[in-house]
Amino acid sequence: MADDKDVLRDVWFGRIPTCFTLYQDEITEREAEPFYLLLPRVSFLTLVTDKVKKHFLKVMKAEDVEEMWFDFEGTPLKWHYPIGLLFDLHASNTALPWSITVHFKNFPERDLLHCPSNSVIEAHFMSSIKEADALKHKSQVINDMQKKDHKQLWMGLQNDKFDQFWAMNRKLMEYPTEEGGFRYIPFRIYLTMSDRPFIQKLFRPISSDGYTHTLGDLLKEVYPVAISSDDESKRYQVVIHGIEPLLETPLQWLSEHLSHPDNFLHISVIPAPSD
Amino acid sequence: MSSCFLDEETFCQCCQLLLQHSHSLCDGWSWEQVKGSEEGYLRKTALGTGRTRCNLDQQGNSSDQHQERTFSLSFHNDDDDDDEDDGAVCCIQEESSSSSVVQYEYHILYSCSYQTPVLYFRASTLEGRSLCLEEVWDSVHPNYRQRLQHRPWDTITQQEHPLLGQSFFVLHPCRTEEFMMPVLKAALEEHRQVNYIVTWLSVVGPVVGLDVPLSYCTQVPEPPHTPSRSPQPPPALHSPQP
Repeated sequence: MADDKDVLRDVWFGRIPTCFTLYQDEITEREAEPFYLLLPRVSFLTLVTDKVKKHFLKVMKAEDVEEMWFDFEGTPLKWHYPIGLLFDLHASNTALPWSITVHFKNFPERDLLHCPSNSVIEAHFMSSIKEADALKHKSQVINDMQKKDHKQLWMGLQNDKFDQFWAMNRKLMEYPTEEGGFRYIPFRIYLTMSDRPFIQKLFRPISSDGYTHTLGDLLKEVYPVAISSDDESKRYQVVIHGIEPLLETPLQWLSEHLSHPDNFLHISVIPAPSD
Repeated sequence: MSSCFLDEETFCQCCQLLLQHSHSLCDGWSWEQVKGSEEGYLRKTALGTGRTRCNLDQQGNSSDQHQERTFSLSFHNDDDDDDEDDGAVCCIQEESSSSSVVQYEYHILYSCSYQTPVLYFRASTLEGRSLCLEEVWDSVHPNYRQRLQHRPWDTITQQEHPLLGQSFFVLHPCRTEEFMMPVLKAALEEHRQVNYIVTWLSVVGPVVGLDVPLSYCTQVPEPPHTPSRSPQPPPALHSPQP
């Protein structure tokens, strides 16, 4: 359907205007200007911030520079989470541009993964795709693909090539007609008010008697806190790619159209604004 | 045969049986429950040896003059696309590696995506410095190192702990069925008891310095047999929402 394909493009080309400011305690030879950049929602921080690094290195000595990392209002940002997820989780009800602080020292070892090269990002991305296919197809589709096909998925993401990416990814979105959907839906529900970073469980899109599960059904089953009862005001927002889909939306449809390139539905549950 | 996969309930039962034996040996395993849920994991800390660097340095550029060995993770032999990447790499100075005491922390979690257990671990020096990935690699016993290098999906990578959100190292779980299947099949044919977790741990543990005393294999039973070991789908939700 033409409308549904538009959704795929809107998801892929989503951008977040961001302002990068150097942390005040970094040692510079002269004052560092902030750097502005439009970040792709579906990519990863360490993949798209070479320009940010080059900008700040102009005013710093090499010996004062270690691995670059980012924080937002004191919270270290996990580069292995998609950018759009980080924004929805931490900053969706704040003013644009998104203000991120850049660091080159005191890497928070316990909280952040190291990212010494793009190979690490690629390995992480492919690992997520593989895990998603384990859930959707018992890994049959991903294992039938050749190494060059896997590479095409990664190159499509790295070089922002929608058509190149989807030429391969469409295979990962197929399912036997008689099944009505994937075996299990790859999803993660991210929580801000918990030690636990996310919830991930086995959940079928179609029940054994043919009932189509919705987003609301998923939340009721794995995180009922997110859904307020009728008589109380809404306490939480359930956000995917910066929007709040209707709880009646079929989960299978969401998985096919609102997944990230890693084939996971990354769902943020955040406190609703208080006004 | 679906029995090379593990459902979560059987995982918990296997862990509890392992724990009972651990208590009799006083060798340090504990069960950590996630607040407000049925989920949990096995945990153990231990002192071991590892190879660590004294002068660990992280620089934005590699430099020839100090004879530094630049290490960047690459899982594909033909991978050349990180040429223009001047991201920080872990530079190690050749001459200062040494064998030292390392504090290890091991967690055994259940992966519902792969329906297998997964071993997470972290390591630090006695001064509290976290080991970097290359030091962890160098601490792997030489007997296992070749296997890790040539099979990317068996390798050790840094990952986020799914329950704690902190950085851990992980042995990738997607090939677990390859080594578990023959063992489980043979045990079934010979009517022997096999505790999935004990068997699995005895294979993966030693790779990362975690030894499993022989008594585990002889003393820990398998959980009571349940008719079906495949994961049950969630209960059908019959009524559409109003």
